[in-house]
Amino acid sequence: MKRDIHIIIAEPAAMIFEGLAAIFLKSGLKPLVSKADTLDEIQQLHLKRSGDIVVISPGLIQNNVKSYQTLKNQFENTHWIGVVYAYNDPNLLALFDAVITISDTSEEIVAVISKMLNTLNPKEPDVLSDREIEVLKLLASGLANKEIADKLNISINTVITHRKNISQKTGIKSVSGLTIYAVVKKLVTLENLSE
Amino acid sequence: MYQTENLHLSADMRISDVILNNPYLILLLEHFGVDVPLQEKTVTDVCLENKINTELFLTFANLYNGVQYDFKDTFSYNEVLTVINYLRNSHRYYSEEIYPNILSIIQQMNSADNRKEMVLVERFFNEYFSEVTEHLNYENNTVFPYITGLYERIINQNQTDGGKKYSVSEYKDHHNDIEEKLNDLKSLLIKYLPLKNDQPIRRKLLFSLFELEYDLNIHSQIEELILIPLVAKMELHLKGAK
Repeated sequence: MKRDIHIIIAEPAAMIFEGLAAIFLKSGLKPLVSKADTLDEIQQLHLKRSGDIVVISPGLIQNNVKSYQTLKNQFENTHWIGVVYAYNDPNLLALFDAVITISDTSEEIVAVISKMLNTLNPKEPDVLSDREIEVLKLLASGLANKEIADKLNISINTVITHRKNISQKTGIKSVSGLTIYAVVKKLVTLENLSE
Repeated sequence: MYQTENLHLSADMRISDVILNNPYLILLLEHFGVDVPLQEKTVTDVCLENKINTELFLTFANLYNGVQYDFKDTFSYNEVLTVINYLRNSHRYYSEEIYPNILSIIQQMNSADNRKEMVLVERFFNEYFSEVTEHLNYENNTVFPYITGLYERIINQNQTDGGKKYSVSEYKDHHNDIEEKLNDLKSLLIKYLPLKNDQPIRRKLLFSLFELEYDLNIHSQIEELILIPLVAKMELHLKGAK
């Protein structure tokens, strides 16, 4: 299982950091959790390994709103979630994409994260479309993306999109793995396969 | 991850209890070169006996238990040889034990019932195995000597250029490929390959794949989260010394 989700927790209080880390690690999201104490550290961590989510104490940005916004603009795909456990100026809270509060349950906290990551979207049914089957057959018979594109009169990008969807639906990414899938599903026969 | 709970290990725990909680940690002990029986020894005892930094041991062990933090600046480059030794031992386990083991199970399935899909699966696995071997050899023969060289230059305060470099991004791509094909194989076995009264041997195959995947996953985490930052630290140190 790959861990694609990186959560940076920027929270000076050990109790809250450890608590949040434990909630995230148990959540099933399988994140990598990092600790940062300053905005600079967040930036360094980010440059090293892009982060999806920064969970941050409003105290850290209170007197650094400008640097916070610069950072936020620099990493536009990152979600910034405030951790609220005291009274904070609503204008300050408005700078976050979402907030979690000290009274939230673990489930509520995980739900906020999942919503940001879009993992709550219902999955599409795992049935291959006719077009996807066509692409799969050609792929299994040994054609490259470009050749498939020419043969079906579609762009190479469309071929790549089809391949992504096929892999998502079948759980198989490599061409040789997909070839076995195609044989099992009787979409191609062994005789059609290139050696 | 396949253990039921994320037990966070500490130095005063008895190592036998730790293993009883998550038997996969037997692999960790083997890779560190620690042998059973463990009697009543604690983590600290075992580490002292085997000259392993306790923090390093706990970090690896906790990775096996699914507890993962960012380890920036946690370890000094004095640990680098222990890390490399650990990785070399796990390479040996892959190439001499678990991969040949899986291959022989696939061959058994194949000879018991010669189905066209299984022929393809065997071919798939053979190709995969040779890719993995190539990667392991690359690490053994290029990456590890490069790192050991860095370490020696620091110890001997020798600032000459070490020469051969390797690329960290290439490293990560290799890992992704290795894990991807393993996943493909699992998907095929669980979801698609037709059953032919061969449950026991399929189960054996699946369990071996899970065992391999479990260890490989920790292996790449150790390389990416601990080894690579250590190397960066050493390179920086040598640069600064110039």
